[in-house]
Amino acid sequence: MRRIIGTAMTLAIVICFSTSLVLAADLPKLVGLTIPEAGTDKGWNEQGKVGLEAIAAKYGFKMELGEALGYGDIKPTLRDMVKKGSDLIICHASGYQTVAPEIARETGVRVVTTENHKDVTPGLISDIDTQPQGGCYMAGYLAGKMTRSNIVGIVTSGEPPTWNRMSAGFAQGLKASNPGAKLLYSLIGEAAYADAAGAKRNSEDQIAVGADVIFGMGDGASFGMLQACSSKKAKDGGKVWFIDVIGDKSSIDRADVLLSSVLWDMSVVYDEIIQSWKDGSFGKQHWVAMDNGAIRLLEPNKAVPSDVRKEIKDLEAKLKSGAIAVVDIPVAADLHKFLNEHFPK
Amino acid sequence: MSSLMDMALIGAVMASTLRGTTPILLGALGETFVERSGLLNLGLEGMMVAGAFASFLVGFKLDSLMLGFVAAAAVGMILGLLFGFMTITLRVNQIVVGLGITIFAHASCSFLHRVIFGNQFPIMFTAGQTHEVPLLSKIPLIGQPLFNQHWLLYLTFLSVPVLYFIMYKTSLGLRIQAVGETPWAADSSGVNVLKTRYIAILFGGIMGGLAGAFMSLGDLAFFVPNMIMGRGYIAIVVVMLGKWDPLKVFLGALLFGFSMSLTSALQVAGVKVSPDFILMTPYLVVIATLLIFARSTNLPAALCVPYERGQK
Repeated sequence: MRRIIGTAMTLAIVICFSTSLVLAADLPKLVGLTIPEAGTDKGWNEQGKVGLEAIAAKYGFKMELGEALGYGDIKPTLRDMVKKGSDLIICHASGYQTVAPEIARETGVRVVTTENHKDVTPGLISDIDTQPQGGCYMAGYLAGKMTRSNIVGIVTSGEPPTWNRMSAGFAQGLKASNPGAKLLYSLIGEAAYADAAGAKRNSEDQIAVGADVIFGMGDGASFGMLQACSSKKAKDGGKVWFIDVIGDKSSIDRADVLLSSVLWDMSVVYDEIIQSWKDGSFGKQHWVAMDNGAIRLLEPNKAVPSDVRKEIKDLEAKLKSGAIAVVDIPVAADLHKFLNEHFPK
Repeated sequence: MSSLMDMALIGAVMASTLRGTTPILLGALGETFVERSGLLNLGLEGMMVAGAFASFLVGFKLDSLMLGFVAAAAVGMILGLLFGFMTITLRVNQIVVGLGITIFAHASCSFLHRVIFGNQFPIMFTAGQTHEVPLLSKIPLIGQPLFNQHWLLYLTFLSVPVLYFIMYKTSLGLRIQAVGETPWAADSSGVNVLKTRYIAILFGGIMGGLAGAFMSLGDLAFFVPNMIMGRGYIAIVVVMLGKWDPLKVFLGALLFGFSMSLTSALQVAGVKVSPDFILMTPYLVVIATLLIFARSTNLPAALCVPYERGQK
């Protein structure tokens, strides 16, 4: 009997040990992340880096970071990551959607692209796209409630699909809460993500004609928008509110003009990707969206009245349930048409 | 459009024209002297980046704006010295050295920003202050936009006639022109070609550093990697547009600054034109100006040509 119990226990230990080995083998050991700018921009790049760090800590894999790579050909970096043993490479910029699939097919190493649905390949290429318009709808709704001049501005550092979706969602939310509001739209440049001076100039021009809420999408450029809102007074002498995206700039908001921010949590989609790796379904489309918790609104500024806060909370529930449908407009030309229709110049 | 194109926006356009012109003008005035001496400094962009970072770092850490500007000038001068040593003394290809300095400055400033500030982007709240010029700032419409600006902006605009005078009316200016045209002739008449070129590039470095400092401490109040956004290269184009004449360079920079301001003002004013087309305005204006005014461009004859005594 004692021999039988001993054998059974040994068997159980061996099974547990081998199972854990199998589970460990199911996870990537080294994950590469390529980002175009510094991973400290309190925006898109930092969210990618911080999100993957959180998931790496959760699942115990190592991370190889390639940052400030720009928007050009990053094949040498990707090949270097492959050479170092990366099992998975996340290419965190829509500008990498040509080279990333090429490297995946060339080397067989799995990659994750950004805003690149057409190359999704089961077992080889997953893609992350964004649906942040729900969060921006709430931001637009909030802006419509907080504007005193009924003039609200959007300042954007480019017109990639994500930024366009956010602008459209914001405009729709503004229209819903304040149909009489005027909306200004300023594009700083084609890829002016770091043009803080240009962002300040565009924001100041909007403030000059009466805007008292600025919704800014900029990465590094957004610091210029924040400075414009901090240093300029609205036409009525009051504050110019700033609504940010992706990150949280509360820590540097000394003038207390940050009204809110549409926050992104990339760790949610990275977790989904690792889960797909484990269950064998890697190679599909993932979304940064409200329904999976990757998009949410930063707790609004304390100046926001409680009834408006409650309305925003109610909105969130309706957006998540699908009771309110928010437009999905990724193309710049369609966005311009949408804005002209709803906010004629 | 007319309802929005009000006086406040016109004032904002005037103010942003001056602020947008200043860093380009600072860099371009320095580059004018550099190119007149026979050197093509493509490292100007890097010197502006380094100046922006150094000024913010020193200004923020020592809580002194003035020391920040001094640091920017010093860093610009050091990079100018490096450029000079490589191209004047060692006679390395000027284009390669210039681009190398720009790449080095971009990378090292991003790296140091990361090491020193981590993921924080501190703001220097005392930076970006403007100074009203008594009486002039009270003039209706133009008073505030034109005469309530940063001190470096006033200094930059005032330096234009001074530098014009130096270029054309002083022996130093004439020596600089001579070594950029016929260095062997200048050498034979007793001008120290290498020393003159060193003076020019050190001056160009200081101006480049100050141009960057204006971005991070004059117009803005923080440093973001890549914030110069090609303004150094625009300054080089403006020098060619202005045919190496400080007054014309000033007009070229002002034209570019005004065009940049228009890109945002036209959008805000509600002009029914695609933003993409509006954003082309500065470049279309520059191309048109080049076609109209700069067809007979006279490059300094010895531009980009290293000088060695005895070799023509």
